[in-house]
Amino acid sequence: MKTILVVDDDLNLRNLLEEELRENGYQVLVAGNAMEALAIVQNQPLDLVILDIRMPGMDGLEALPRMLGLKEGLKVILHTAYSQYKESFMSWAADAYVVKSADITELRAKISELIGAGQP
Amino acid sequence: MDRFKTLTTIIMAGGRGERLFPLTRDKAKPAITFGGIYRIIDFTLSNCFNSGIRRIYVLSQYGSFSLDQHLRVAWNIMHPDLGEYIYSVPPQQITVNRWYRGTADSIYQNLNLLDQERPRQVLILSGDHVYKMDYAAMLDFHLSREADLTVAAVMVPRSESRSFGILSVDGDSRVVDFLEKPAAPPGLPGNPDFCLGSMGVYLFRAGTLVQEVIRDAKQKDSHHDFGRDIIPSMMKRLRVFAYNFHHPATGAPHYWRDIGRLDAYFAAHQDLLGEHPVFDLFDPVWPVRGHLSLSPPARFVSGKKGVEVSDSFIASGCVIQEAMVRRSVLSPQVAVGPGARVEEAVLWDGVEVGAGARVRRAIIEDKVKIPPKFSLGFDREADARRFPVTEEGLVIVPNNVVLEED
Repeated sequence: MKTILVVDDDLNLRNLLEEELRENGYQVLVAGNAMEALAIVQNQPLDLVILDIRMPGMDGLEALPRMLGLKEGLKVILHTAYSQYKESFMSWAADAYVVKSADITELRAKISELIGAGQP
Repeated sequence: MDRFKTLTTIIMAGGRGERLFPLTRDKAKPAITFGGIYRIIDFTLSNCFNSGIRRIYVLSQYGSFSLDQHLRVAWNIMHPDLGEYIYSVPPQQITVNRWYRGTADSIYQNLNLLDQERPRQVLILSGDHVYKMDYAAMLDFHLSREADLTVAAVMVPRSESRSFGILSVDGDSRVVDFLEKPAAPPGLPGNPDFCLGSMGVYLFRAGTLVQEVIRDAKQKDSHHDFGRDIIPSMMKRLRVFAYNFHHPATGAPHYWRDIGRLDAYFAAHQDLLGEHPVFDLFDPVWPVRGHLSLSPPARFVSGKKGVEVSDSFIASGCVIQEAMVRRSVLSPQVAVGPGARVEEAVLWDGVEVGAGARVRRAIIEDKVKIPPKFSLGFDREADARRFPVTEEGLVIVPNNVVLEED
């Protein structure tokens, strides 16, 4: 089963994504900040990270290259409420950039495109 | 308007320079002495300065202190308050916990610099080449071709292609193939005896550069090198052009040397000498800035015998007394004693050649004291027992040895 790490400081969103993605047949890990996320990336097998950008402490754009340095070939989707970070060169290292929405159809499609469908 | 307003320049200066050992054992290759009063990187920096470029990052790594020190002492001439700078950037290990894995990785690790600058073009240069080049002309070419990448290239005889990365081009200078050190590359359109060797000088559309180094950073089997990985991967997908570094009227290639090996280092010194040198530093249009020294003028002292100096560079502070110096380059404060003979040699700062000593075809590091009547460069076997000797028979005298009188 494919494993996804959800990194977001918003507990409600974390819980929502965890539940939705589990239902879609993925194993889901969660982290509430970048440091916690980096520790998971370093120590656990993972296929994909869904990474928020604006978080207290280290932000997602700073965490992104560190994650890629820790795990070669790791797929990352930047998942943020703001579109302006698309301009940042650092964001180009992600495999996809999805603006947060109540409807997670786009996010689900990107996940499936990058690591394949889940196994319900 | 400043034509370079939208351009960021990055000089790669982190290589270990193993083939220049022992000269590079405690210094970065771009920081080693060249031409008496210069460091190798001075040629690239002077090119930038003479071209009008005033914003430069120097990516250092191996032996970075030597380079940093030189930049501070000799190149502290920019005005940061006017937006001018030369910044030395060692691997910061902010985003990844490693040294630079290759030239492309050094850009990847510094994407934050480009993010701050937001340039439209990025000029990538090497800190260990000797040449005089106007990068503005290359920028014009790059813009006229609407290129994603322009690679500067110099014409080399096809018989010498094994020493270069060779760019195969069509009639419009578009790169159609890249061959790493090939035996028999195709000749140039209209000039079949020559081919184009990459100079390691790259001008990128900034967005393309960022995309390509990110793509490369994710390739497991990559060397993370512009020549070996980035150019071959780009040329089929994107607009890659070769900028022929030649005289537009005569078609003759301009002077360009990669100071990669000891013999090349020595040969490039010989190119500086003579009445009509192959590479002329006495060029008012293209001054090369060097390391200034507070020495008095060179002093030649005759006694019973005279001083004989020919086809040489003698820096300030040198004292030559009743001695002979021929086809040599002497850095500041070199002393040559009575009856000594120095031929085809490169002597770094403060070298002392004792009375009656003979030095031929040698590179001698700073502050080495050659004892009186000592002989160097005349007996290959004897030299090889004490010093590194190159394939072509050059003797290298590092300054961590004490020479004893014969």
